[in-house]
Amino acid sequence: MHPYEQYELVIGLEVHVQLSTRSKAFSADENAFGAEPNTQVDPVSLGHPGALPRYNRAQVESAVRLGLALGSQIARRQSFDRKHYFYTDLPKGYQITQDREPVCVGGRLPIRIGERWQEVRIHHIHMEEDAGKSLHDRSESYSLIDLNRAGVPLLEVVSEPDLRSPEEVDAFMSAMRQLVRYLGISDGNMEEGSLRCDCNVSVRKRGSDQLGTRCEIKNLNSMRYARRAIEFESRRQIDLLEQGGQVVQQTLHFDPATGVTSPLRSKEDAHDYRYFSEPDLPPIELSDEFVDELRRASPTLPWEWYRRFRQENDLSDYDSALLSEESEIAAYFRELATQSGQAKAAANLLINKILPHSRQERMPLTEFPLDLTQLCDFLALIEAGTVSHSAAYQQLWPALLESPDRSPLDLAKQLNLLQVSNVDQLEEVVEKIVAQFPDKVKAFRNGKKGLLGFFMGEVMKATQGKADPKMVKRLLEGKL
Amino acid sequence: MNIDKALISKLESLTRLQLTEEERLQLEVDLAAILQMVEKMNDLDTSGVEPLTHITSELNRWREDRVEEALDREMALKNAPDREGPFFRVPKVIELDDDRPS
Repeated sequence: MHPYEQYELVIGLEVHVQLSTRSKAFSADENAFGAEPNTQVDPVSLGHPGALPRYNRAQVESAVRLGLALGSQIARRQSFDRKHYFYTDLPKGYQITQDREPVCVGGRLPIRIGERWQEVRIHHIHMEEDAGKSLHDRSESYSLIDLNRAGVPLLEVVSEPDLRSPEEVDAFMSAMRQLVRYLGISDGNMEEGSLRCDCNVSVRKRGSDQLGTRCEIKNLNSMRYARRAIEFESRRQIDLLEQGGQVVQQTLHFDPATGVTSPLRSKEDAHDYRYFSEPDLPPIELSDEFVDELRRASPTLPWEWYRRFRQENDLSDYDSALLSEESEIAAYFRELATQSGQAKAAANLLINKILPHSRQERMPLTEFPLDLTQLCDFLALIEAGTVSHSAAYQQLWPALLESPDRSPLDLAKQLNLLQVSNVDQLEEVVEKIVAQFPDKVKAFRNGKKGLLGFFMGEVMKATQGKADPKMVKRLLEGKL
Repeated sequence: MNIDKALISKLESLTRLQLTEEERLQLEVDLAAILQMVEKMNDLDTSGVEPLTHITSELNRWREDRVEEALDREMALKNAPDREGPFFRVPKVIELDDDRPS
C-alpha cells in the first residue's frame, strides 16, 4: 500500500460568511460590494478616536437564524471583545469579535457526498467585522487602502474536525453557501469574497483515534484552491512523517501559482491578540420571544426539502438534490407537483424546460410567463394522452412561450397536435399498413421482431406523429 | 508580571513601534510603576465580586439596519498622512499580508 493510503486526513474549517445587511456591523455606512474606493466609510469604520460603535440588529438576527438552522444552542447572553493586531487596513488596531461569549454554540450541518448524507458538527458561530482592502500591486514601495469593507458584518462558523477529504470540504462549503442563500443572510458568492475559509489540516494513520498536529491554511477563497491546498498540505505532512519527521503547528499560505503551501514568515509571538472585553459595546441578552419569532420565520431548509422530495414525491436522488438547490425552486416545484398531482412529470418539466428558460432569460421563477394553471393544463394534456410527450415538449411548449396568454388545449388544437387515440380510427390505419407490407409481416412472424419498429414508424408517418405510440404498439402486436 | 527587556521588545513588535534605547529604559520604569499601582488591588478580597466590564448596565443597544449618509470621501481622506487618488497610501507591508487573522 502506498504510504498516502495508510493515512487519513482530518480537516476542520473556519468559514467566514459576509452578511448582506444594508449597513455595516457597528456603524450606519453602507455595506455593498464594488463601490468606488473609500465612499462607504464613516468615523467608526475609519477608526477615528472617540467614534462609538453600535451593533446592528440585523447581524444579530442573521446569526441567530443561521444557528437555528444548524440546531445550535442560541446564547441568551453574549458579549463582544477586542482582538488586537496591527495591520494597515484595520484602522482601529483591533477587530471587534466575540471571543468568550459567542452567539451560537454547537449544531450540525448536513452535507451530501454523492448520494450519501452525513452531518458535520459545528463548534460555534461568532459575530465579527471585516477589515478593509489593501492593494499591493500599484507601486513598489506603497500599498493603497480602501476601507469600504472595514466593518462589514461577518459570521465565523467554526466546524469540528469532522471532514476527511477535499470532497467533503467541497460539500461542506457548498452546503454552507446553499444554506446562507436559503436564509437570505448572504449571497454566498466566493468570487466576491462573501464566503471564505481557513482549513485546519492534519493527518493520522488509519484506525488511529489520536489527532495529529495540525496546520492552518489561511484565506482560501475558491473551492478549487482549497482542494489543491489540502491535497498538497496533506502529502507534505505524510512525507514528513514517513521520513521520521514531525509536523510543526503553523500557519500556512497557499500560493495558487505554484500549488505549494508555505509557512508565513512571522515570529512566534506575532499571534498575541491581547483580547479584552469591548467596553464600547454593552452585552446582548436575547429574550425567548426574540428567538422564537425568528424560529417561526425560519424557511424550510434544503435537506428538509430533499427528504420530502425523496419520500413524499418519490423523486430520484439527483432530481431531489437539483430541485432543493435553491429555496425558490424548491417551493415552486412543490406547488407545481401538488397542483398538478404529477410530481415526476412536474420535476421533468421544471428541470428540462422551465429552469433552463428562466436561467437563460435571467428571470425569477415567479415571473415565468406561464402560470401554474397553464403548466398544470400542459402536464394534464400529456398525462391524458391528448398530446404526445414529444409533440408537447417539442412543438406545444415553444408555441406556448410565444403566446403565454393562450390555453394549452386551444393551442394544441390550433397546431393540430391532438393525438389520434380513437381506437377504430387507428385500427384502420394499422390494418392498412400491415396489408401494405406482406413480406415484412412474414419476416416478423418468422422471428425478425425488430421489424416492430418499422411498422411503428409507418403508422406514425401515416398519422403525422399524432398517434398514441402505446396504443399503436398494442394494436400492431395484435395484428401481427 | 515582570517588566523586562524581553517584554518591552515583544510590545515593540506587537505595536510596530520603534523605540530608542533611552525610550526603552524609560518605558520599563513607567510600566513597572503602573503595574505596581494596579497590583495594590490584590490587597483587596474580590472573591464574589463580578468583574466590571461596562460602566452602565445597559443591554441590547442595537441599531436598526438602516444606511445613513457616508462620510464624504474628501473628508475621509483629509486627515490621512498620505494618499494616492481615492486611496489611503501606506508603506508596503505585503510580507505580513497573510499573517493577520481573518
